[in-house]
Amino acid sequence: MIWKESYKIGVEEVDRQHEELFRRFSEYLRAVRGEDNLETRTAKIQETLNFMGEYVVVHFASEEEIQRKYNYPNYAAHREIHERFKAEIQRFVEAFQENPHDEDLIMEFSGKLLTWLINHVAEEDQKIGTYVSSSKEVCQ
Amino acid sequence: MKVEYLNPIINATVSVFQNMFNIELERGTMQVTTESISGKKANVSIGVTGQLKGSIVFSFTETLALGIVEEMAGMKMNQLDKFVTSAIGELANIISGHAMTNLAGVGYQCDIVPPQINVGDEQRIYMATEKILVMPFTSRFGVFDLSISLQEVK
Repeated sequence: MIWKESYKIGVEEVDRQHEELFRRFSEYLRAVRGEDNLETRTAKIQETLNFMGEYVVVHFASEEEIQRKYNYPNYAAHREIHERFKAEIQRFVEAFQENPHDEDLIMEFSGKLLTWLINHVAEEDQKIGTYVSSSKEVCQ
Repeated sequence: MKVEYLNPIINATVSVFQNMFNIELERGTMQVTTESISGKKANVSIGVTGQLKGSIVFSFTETLALGIVEEMAGMKMNQLDKFVTSAIGELANIISGHAMTNLAGVGYQCDIVPPQINVGDEQRIYMATEKILVMPFTSRFGVFDLSISLQEVK
């Protein structure tokens, strides 16, 4: 994954977290799609899942706090997307723990997550950025 | 099939490509076909339920599917494996989700069911309505078709 300046939403904390998510998920993709042996890849997947499980909670909380601060009108819908995403990660974590060497399961989850992350950052979160910057203008 | 169903879906497709990949899709000439469509290498079918029922099918060429996923992943993709098909399945899912929001805006409350992905040469895909509208799109990644087969539930 390639981080682009255009993904920034203009809220420093969120932009920093997004960039970190991109960096970590790129490392994960290189491991998942790479030629390393099964043990190395499985370890990397486990490490990323641990990281994502924790970091995503922190990151979503940051985003939701900013939305509440600015009375973002789509707060409930956006939060619902976050909740569904967390549940999806949890489902995969459980399936992966049961079958850590199920290649199809890993590839399916990783492909879906790739598109989801880019869409969420490049599209859904941009709406927060646009709203926050227009709110700031009104306040000034 | 009414034009009111079509524009919300076409607009969702155009806006998701614009926002995610910063590309403007070029629309081709809409074609009307009956019963079935001839698919491309990777076909993602999304079922629609609610006030409208039927399906939306995205038919991607291999070049386009690989190109899109390479752009997202920043890595070379060599074949339509599970990773690639899952990524484009999610893309079709996201577009369809936006389409449902747009449809709700013009008075049609609908839901989608998770994508079905079929990969292979010379696929013929049968759809629920007699008339199927096919909108071809061109982009820098290649071409794809959006086929819409929906009818109002009385």
